[in-house]
Amino acid sequence: MAKETTGATTMESLARGRTTGKFRCVNCFVRISPPPGAKTYKCPHCGFEWRVFWISPTFPRIRGPVWDVNRRLAAEEVSKQRKGGK
Amino acid sequence: MALNRKIAYINLTTGEIETKPIPISMRKKFLGGRGLDMYLMYNHVKPGVDPLGPDNVAFVSAGILVSTLASATARTHIGGKSPLTGYVGSANMGGFFAPEMRWAGFDHLVIKGKAEKPVYLWIHNGEIEIRDAKNIWGKTVHETQQIVREELGDREIKILTIGPAGEKLVRFANVMTGVKDAGGRSGMGALLGSKNLKCIACRGTMDIKIAHPQEALDYNKTFITQITSAKVSQTQGKIGTPFIWGSTNSWGGIRTNNFQYNQLEYSDDIEAESLDEVNIGMAGCFGCQVHCRARYIIPDGPYKGVYDEGPEYTAQGAFCGEPGCTKRNTLLVCNHLANIYGMDLLEVGSLTAWAMELYEKGILTDKDTDGLELRFGNDEAMIEMCHRIARREGLGDILAEGGLRAAKKIGKDSIKYLIHVKGMSNLHSDERGTPSLALGIATGSRGSDHLRSRPAVDLYHLPEPVLRKIYSTPVAYDGPLTSDYKDYEGKPWQVFWHETCYEAVDCLGICKYHTTFLAATGPNFEEWSRVLYYNTGLEMSPVDIWTVAERAYNMERLFNLREGLTRKDDWLNDRYFDEPTTRGIPAVQGRTIDREKFAKMIGEYYEHHGWDENGVPTPETLKRLGIDKEPSHVL
Ligand code: SF4
Ligand SMILES: [Zn+2]
Repeated sequence: MAKETTGATTMESLARGRTTGKFRCVNCFVRISPPPGAKTYKCPHCGFEWRVFWISPTFPRIRGPVWDVNRRLAAEEVSKQRKGGK
Repeated sequence: MALNRKIAYINLTTGEIETKPIPISMRKKFLGGRGLDMYLMYNHVKPGVDPLGPDNVAFVSAGILVSTLASATARTHIGGKSPLTGYVGSANMGGFFAPEMRWAGFDHLVIKGKAEKPVYLWIHNGEIEIRDAKNIWGKTVHETQQIVREELGDREIKILTIGPAGEKLVRFANVMTGVKDAGGRSGMGALLGSKNLKCIACRGTMDIKIAHPQEALDYNKTFITQITSAKVSQTQGKIGTPFIWGSTNSWGGIRTNNFQYNQLEYSDDIEAESLDEVNIGMAGCFGCQVHCRARYIIPDGPYKGVYDEGPEYTAQGAFCGEPGCTKRNTLLVCNHLANIYGMDLLEVGSLTAWAMELYEKGILTDKDTDGLELRFGNDEAMIEMCHRIARREGLGDILAEGGLRAAKKIGKDSIKYLIHVKGMSNLHSDERGTPSLALGIATGSRGSDHLRSRPAVDLYHLPEPVLRKIYSTPVAYDGPLTSDYKDYEGKPWQVFWHETCYEAVDCLGICKYHTTFLAATGPNFEEWSRVLYYNTGLEMSPVDIWTVAERAYNMERLFNLREGLTRKDDWLNDRYFDEPTTRGIPAVQGRTIDREKFAKMIGEYYEHHGWDENGVPTPETLKRLGIDKEPSHVL
């Protein structure tokens, strides 16, 4: 069952796909790009809002949720799902 | 050469010390570090011994690549029968101890018996002495390191030590090799304490001859570029592992108030960026370019001005998520206390949070806590419990016995609320929304933990082709793989793959942050094959290294089975199946683990291993791995 690989290693080939200036929204998983220096950013796809930390001027990361916004959105969505019988 | 380091057998009862070379055939079978330790453990620890009795054996080792030109090869391993679980005891730490031990001439120490009075080992350039530890017994981890360096007159001496918790046989006491480099899990500090062995001091100046130095240096440049350009490495180098909290607490993967919630809301004060405000600079382990270890000075309160290192992501969960505390100072102080007492902070936090739930449910009363209001969110109570557990005072003495023994003593239905596997408390992660992570903790060879097999990249929603690339190397896999962390399909293979990957790094002596753990783009088997050859001259293919790791993991399984482990021990607390999550993003709310699907996952995981439906390696598997005649007593 074992097989050796040739050419670029997994590490090398995956590293080519790295993105900059973006992070994945942890609600909808779409990669989103906050404007440089933004302290918070609302995901344009799902509306969840994140506090942003900048590792460097071009490298944003999620610091945490904007609690009041995301709690409300989550509660609304969950209640909708329950009503829909999901 | 890099492979001429020896194994030393040290008998603390008789004072006898014997050294032997390690045959190349054994290197090819187990490499070093955790792998060879697990072979030694199966061969030297007799079935059924008391883990705190003189018949248990402690194994201390360096990975085979430690102190070579390879990157981040700093890891020390310690093993023995666990005083906490009675199964595999095994813990791994960074820092500088293992490189020093290799420069002093040794790769593996096998420590038997029990000294009549407290002693320490002094290892230097091929020599090993057993010395009196009278003046360091009772001292904290940090004090011990300082006193021994002064006593031996060399500031470069590296020390692996226990703290007061290890002396008091707290069953989850750890061993430490620096200010915060901890071999945290499974109670290896209690094992050394039971032998009256306070510490091991090392200093060496014996050359390590690199097999192909120019190639090793050249290749290391590529390796370092890959590591340092990974986004995870850059993040860790800036704010350390607490960055993980930003993601996991955002979607709802943090075990909170013991197990009542899955997110610590409004906990901004303990986030990485808040910790960064008190960070006075990052430090790193031997040969590492990432430098993920934060250094801090406690800014206020009774411990104002005290220096320490960390805290890590694990401490955020242990001292804040699980007990529901949200103050940064609590995190900084508890982290410091765990470091000086020498305790596994994951157990301290988990068991305190468990006791808090018992208190709030009336199972523990003020009488049991000596008046301490053990409620969730009581920061002072969390700090106080660190002291009481380490000193074995009152309820702390009961918790110091570990969750299962404590539950027996406390009685009522306290066991129902204990979040553990095989008697080891779980990390602060809440795996109800992530079946792959749940499978990892249920099946880990040393109990519930995240460093045995956690497929952390399963949380990244990676596209299927990327998953396929990762999980089909170095051995072929054409089964299902899915990007959704809520799925059950294909996850057993991912857990098996990571288990094998992490075993391999622990044999090589490489840090887990330098493989496919937090970064999908980390080096693994293909890179290691080259690194191993350039540095040591050992020619082993990626598949050969995979097989070593499989072999070593099977030795762990054999050890556990011999100690009475059964399939039912690879299982989770009922709460995972019965209590739905209530917080986080909509996708993880209302989640439980499905019993039937989970049982099926375990079956598949066993199949990948070549184990039968009871989790026992089949004769064919043992033969394929060349361990069908164990114990073989070659070493
Ligand atoms: S990544 Fe961190 S823990 Fe790993 S070797 Fe580097 S400094 Fe040490
Ligand atoms: Zn989104």
